Amino acid sequence: MTDGLIDQSEPLLSNEPSVALATLVAATGSTSKKVGTKMIVGESGRLIGGVTIGGCVDAQVVEAADALLEAGGRRVLSISLDDDEAWEIGLTCGGTVDVLIERVNVHDIVDPVAAAHVAARASLARGESAVIATPLDGESAALVVSEGGARHGTLGESAVDAMATTIATDVLVNGSRIAPIDHAGTSRQYFFDRQSPPTTVVIVGAGQIAMSLTRMARELDMRTIVVDGRERYATRDRFPDADEIRVGMPSEIVASIAPSKRVAVVLIAHDYKYELPVLRALLRSTVGYVGMLGSRKRGDAVRALLREEGFTDAELARIHTPIGLDIGGKSPPEVAVSILAELVAVRSGKRA
Amino acid sequence: MTAFRAIVLEHFRHPRNRGPLDDATASAEGANPLCGDRIRVQVRVADGTIDDARFTADACAICIASASVLTEHVRGMRVSDAAQVDARWIHESLEGEPPAGRVKCSTLPLDTLRRALYVSGSAII
Repeated sequence: MTDGLIDQSEPLLSNEPSVALATLVAATGSTSKKVGTKMIVGESGRLIGGVTIGGCVDAQVVEAADALLEAGGRRVLSISLDDDEAWEIGLTCGGTVDVLIERVNVHDIVDPVAAAHVAARASLARGESAVIATPLDGESAALVVSEGGARHGTLGESAVDAMATTIATDVLVNGSRIAPIDHAGTSRQYFFDRQSPPTTVVIVGAGQIAMSLTRMARELDMRTIVVDGRERYATRDRFPDADEIRVGMPSEIVASIAPSKRVAVVLIAHDYKYELPVLRALLRSTVGYVGMLGSRKRGDAVRALLREEGFTDAELARIHTPIGLDIGGKSPPEVAVSILAELVAVRSGKRA
Repeated sequence: MTAFRAIVLEHFRHPRNRGPLDDATASAEGANPLCGDRIRVQVRVADGTIDDARFTADACAICIASASVLTEHVRGMRVSDAAQVDARWIHESLEGEPPAGRVKCSTLPLDTLRRALYVSGSAII
């Protein structure tokens, strides 16, 4: 379960006919996880994921999930963080979390939630984000709206599906949230859960930093593509965790990867022979991040060369150099941590 | 600045014949396996003459300068004559030899051009 969705092929779920799926649907105050975060509680007692990092809070969710697995159904569990338990775990900022807990028959294709997760995963595999709309009370139902416009499932009424699709279109841009839908004289609350494909990190330069990057990026749900012109460097032996290894003309390989805001290109060859052609290929594309290893002085020199070729200041300003957050590290794994920290900051909107 | 360096930098900043040749009749790709220079040389040959020659490269300044002067030189040349161009001509054109350890950077375009001509059969006249 790398993206929070139920994955029927996940080994931990193969012997779990039913699970309780807990989803953080709303939070106020200081919470450590984003809305949409999930935890799966299996009938066997298995736990996957967590809706908070606070042990006492997750413990209450697990307790409620265990009860729900026996009784069935679904409920929203509201937990105050402004109580004794919160003090015990250091959550002194206060606030509340609302967690939707629902029983899901994992391998039953007519289970609306299980089917919705299959559809959402298919959308992610196509490189499209998807929104799963589900009611917070009453019978289980789910509608999946993909970025490309495809829909799967239903919330029970075509008029409700239409209104939910409109909201989902906004959620695709602005993120997961609860929203009401008024229909036939009643108002019902729905959670709109945005799921996005993982960031793809294109690593140009198959050196030691790249080796550390591919190992660590996996833990952060990032795909990695290692690119180099040297067969002897870009090998599977050196990069067992890379999703792809591509050898050839780096600028052509990078240009062949479909650009999107979820693509980050990390230039760590530290060699202008790759940097200049790759930057020429990238600076007018829509990739979400371009970073280059090197000092500020070196970065300025590269920008000056590209400015001579007609690149604008706005285009050149897209190059993050020195790459990564300044954490003072020098070793390849430390530099990798710094680069990944910056990519996480970009992914979470903390850095442009 | 030495003449060699000035010529290399001038060609690196303003390379001649850089970019793909859409109607090429022969093409070869070459690489320096450790330093990572990569180049593709493409030629269009008709009636034993190189009508056009271009290159695409992710490579260092010496390699790009070498490819630039080489493709300028062989355009309009008989294939049999182009096959005789050697490293000495490249170094004379650049007005100097690269530092030790960088000679392969300067000869990679030449080796790649020869492979393009020979693999395609263009050089067998």
